[in-house]
Amino acid sequence: METNQLIRRLAEDAAPIRRLPAPWRRAAIWFAISLPYVAAVIYAHAALVDPQQMLADRQFLVEEAATLLTAIAAVIAAFCSVVPGFSRMMLLLPLPPLLVWLASLGEGCLRDWLRLGAAGLQLRPDWDCLPPAAMLGIVPMIAIVVMLRRGAPLYPRVTLALAALATASLANFALRTFHVGDASIMVLVWHFGGVLVLSLLAGWIGKLVLSWKHLTTGPATADK
Amino acid sequence: MRSAQDGDSGAYRQLLTEITPLLRRFVCGQRRFLQPCDIEDLVQDILLSLHSVRATYDPNRPFLPWLVAIARNRLADGARRTLRRAANEISVADYPETFSRDAANKLDDGYGDPEALKQAIGNLPRGQRRAIEMLKLREMSLKEAASASGMSVAALKVAVHRGMGALRKVLNDEEQTWKRTN
Repeated sequence: METNQLIRRLAEDAAPIRRLPAPWRRAAIWFAISLPYVAAVIYAHAALVDPQQMLADRQFLVEEAATLLTAIAAVIAAFCSVVPGFSRMMLLLPLPPLLVWLASLGEGCLRDWLRLGAAGLQLRPDWDCLPPAAMLGIVPMIAIVVMLRRGAPLYPRVTLALAALATASLANFALRTFHVGDASIMVLVWHFGGVLVLSLLAGWIGKLVLSWKHLTTGPATADK
Repeated sequence: MRSAQDGDSGAYRQLLTEITPLLRRFVCGQRRFLQPCDIEDLVQDILLSLHSVRATYDPNRPFLPWLVAIARNRLADGARRTLRRAANEISVADYPETFSRDAANKLDDGYGDPEALKQAIGNLPRGQRRAIEMLKLREMSLKEAASASGMSVAALKVAVHRGMGALRKVLNDEEQTWKRTN
């Protein structure tokens, strides 16, 4: 097909479209969908920790704040990454809160080690938190993938890794309200490690979920 | 672009027509080694991609960085596609399936010396020779060969089997002798 012919067909196909809102607004929409769901899952969980106990634990509060900030930064970065023209530096937005979270966990591990010795760094399997973690992540993950597929898949792997980071961080934020007293090493390995592994796995399949192929199948492209 | 997003096809057509030479220059600048037809393919790919993600354009932001980001991404994808294709494809200069080349004339396809074969068949005992002629050379069925020769089907089978064995032995011996002498 000649380029002029293609232009004519694209112009004929140019029906009015709804512009995508700014990334921060889309992030707010995603939180508006995800937070009520996460709150409902937390509410449904019988063993919710006493708020007084939560507020008394400074390290817990720092970790929770860093986790939530990671989720916010990651979701904004994910939505920026599907809009052409944004600086690629935006992709690094979740890095500072992620480092604060890691530093806080590292400090907790050090404190546990000084207080309890090797017993403070003892790791044990913790499969109990897997079902609620999966439950917490399902709806936010589906919502973010659906929203991201409306954008331009410029960096599909990074975008999906950021989406998974946002979802897993939000799920972890909620999950910690059931697990306030956990040793730092457990949180570091199972929670923080789980978030990273999920993000890497999501990045691995990024191109399957987000690709130009599913976008460029309009009538004008059918017989190019 | 704002008008195009609102469904103004005239404005959209004008925009696409105006940016096409820019895109062509951009692609030429980035991929100097490409043929004009490949450059045109890439330009069309960029136009299609722009069309499919036109909802992502924010009228409050500049248009050119948005366009260049799409163009760069499509060029990078195109380069990856080309590399992948080059890594998995084997280019063949000429196909060996010809009539004159050795590769197209394998010995397995049939016996190579028809005169020696004819002579060997002629030297077989009469029954075996007739069975080979009818069943192998004239490709008659066992039933047809049985009624033509007056031999039973079982006798024909035995004769063909023995005849083929004798031919194989004679021709192999001849081939070995020929190899030794040359």
